[in-house]
Amino acid sequence: MKSNRIKDNHTLAIQVKNMTKKFKIYSDKPSTLKERLVFWNHNNKKEIRTVLNNINIEIKKGETVALIGTNGSGKSTLLKLMTKIIYPSVGSVVTHGKLTSLLELGAGFHPDFTGRENIYFNASIFGLTKTEIDARLHDIIAFSELEEFIDNPVRTYSSGMYMRLAFSVAINVDAEILLIDEILAVGDQHFQDKCFQKLFELKNSGKTIIIVTHSLDSVKNLCDRAIWVQDGNLFMDGEAKSVIQAYIDEVNRVKA
Amino acid sequence: MKIFKELYQYRELLKSNVKKEIRGKYKGSFLGVIWSFVNPLLTVLVYAIIFPYILRQDQDNYLIFLIVAIIPWNFFVTVLNQGTTTILANANIIKKVYFPREILPLSIVLSGLVNFLISCIIILFFVLFGGLGISSVIFYLPIIILIQFALSLGIVFMISAINVYIRDVEYIVNFVLTLAFYATPILYDASFMPAKIQGLLNLNPMKHLIDAYRSIFYYKQTPNFAALSILALFSFGILIFGYAIFKKLERGFAEEV
Repeated sequence: MKSNRIKDNHTLAIQVKNMTKKFKIYSDKPSTLKERLVFWNHNNKKEIRTVLNNINIEIKKGETVALIGTNGSGKSTLLKLMTKIIYPSVGSVVTHGKLTSLLELGAGFHPDFTGRENIYFNASIFGLTKTEIDARLHDIIAFSELEEFIDNPVRTYSSGMYMRLAFSVAINVDAEILLIDEILAVGDQHFQDKCFQKLFELKNSGKTIIIVTHSLDSVKNLCDRAIWVQDGNLFMDGEAKSVIQAYIDEVNRVKA
Repeated sequence: MKIFKELYQYRELLKSNVKKEIRGKYKGSFLGVIWSFVNPLLTVLVYAIIFPYILRQDQDNYLIFLIVAIIPWNFFVTVLNQGTTTILANANIIKKVYFPREILPLSIVLSGLVNFLISCIIILFFVLFGGLGISSVIFYLPIIILIQFALSLGIVFMISAINVYIRDVEYIVNFVLTLAFYATPILYDASFMPAKIQGLLNLNPMKHLIDAYRSIFYYKQTPNFAALSILALFSFGILIFGYAIFKKLERGFAEEV
């Protein structure tokens, strides 16, 4: 349906082309020699499940896109494919520009290290160098509002504090493309508002943002475009408000 | 060449990973990092005391004869053992974030290298004060280390990736290393072996490396260049091959770990 659109790599941030993703699902996978010897006559049932089926998406630079759909529809898998944590079985996913994903906050946080040390470690996983982290340290700590606790080990943090620190690191990485997976339920109302404000700021400064979410009301204003994924297929793609409305109507219809 | 650019960008992660590998292993023990040097010395001591009784040994300075071989061997074994499981051990971050996966095996081999370079000071200490002294052939050391580094890194790339899919690799590696300890002239000198066995030993790349270390530290002779050049070609071949396998298998890591 979009095949005749002029493709220009300079304006595209993400290009997903004829992409299919299949997962192998083992009912019981023997992983050690002992297990293999003991259970040698068990046939290992292997099932191949198609999680995403022939997806075509083009996201332009500076677009803010919401990925919506029911649980298990393949939204998070799509984000993982865009970050290159996993790779497509068929087709391709190409991204242009520095990309940061907030799939799971605090990846690689070490509970015994202090908040400050974890900022360094977490930011280095995102590909920042020491000088770059030094320059952002103040902003990160200020955004997290954890000044008092920044030199305490992370294991002493409450879950809200933990999330605040992780979000502050990820949002300050300065990526051109930001992938966010259902993490806006961070902290209290005050911090949530602050996160949204920051996302609006990033949007206005021309960053590309892709959000997987179930809190539809909150992204309605932030996103220009919404993509509805249903059972691994691209079901609807268009202006955010109308797609989200269609999705809500469908959910209500099924419920009724 | 994209990999070098990416590794350069992620140098902070590489650095903190190498530090973590060096420090983390002996965390909580009183002597800390010192254990990485005390351990091989204790092993050497045990061999030096026991072996002259079981085997007829007519080597002068058998202790130094052992030290110059066991310390490089230790570098090889440690790196292979840790390298095999490095991808699995980091499963939690592999599943959550993108970063160049090469960093994991690379930081294992680099941290092994750092430990080995420090251990070289122990070797120097022993040859200096053990009455052997050093000669100018010691300048060949960086070349020998570089070859060992390439060989180890190539093997670690290969086995760390395969171990994600077939976890038995871990046990096979363990066994092969135990066997290789005897198939490498560490406790003995290969030239005292029957010709047939020497031919077999020559197939072992580690044999040529250990010979080279021994010739520059112990015999104070220039290493065997013919053997060393073939080994260098072989090692860089393994590095390229191992890296190719790693790249091929890397795509499935997040799903398999």
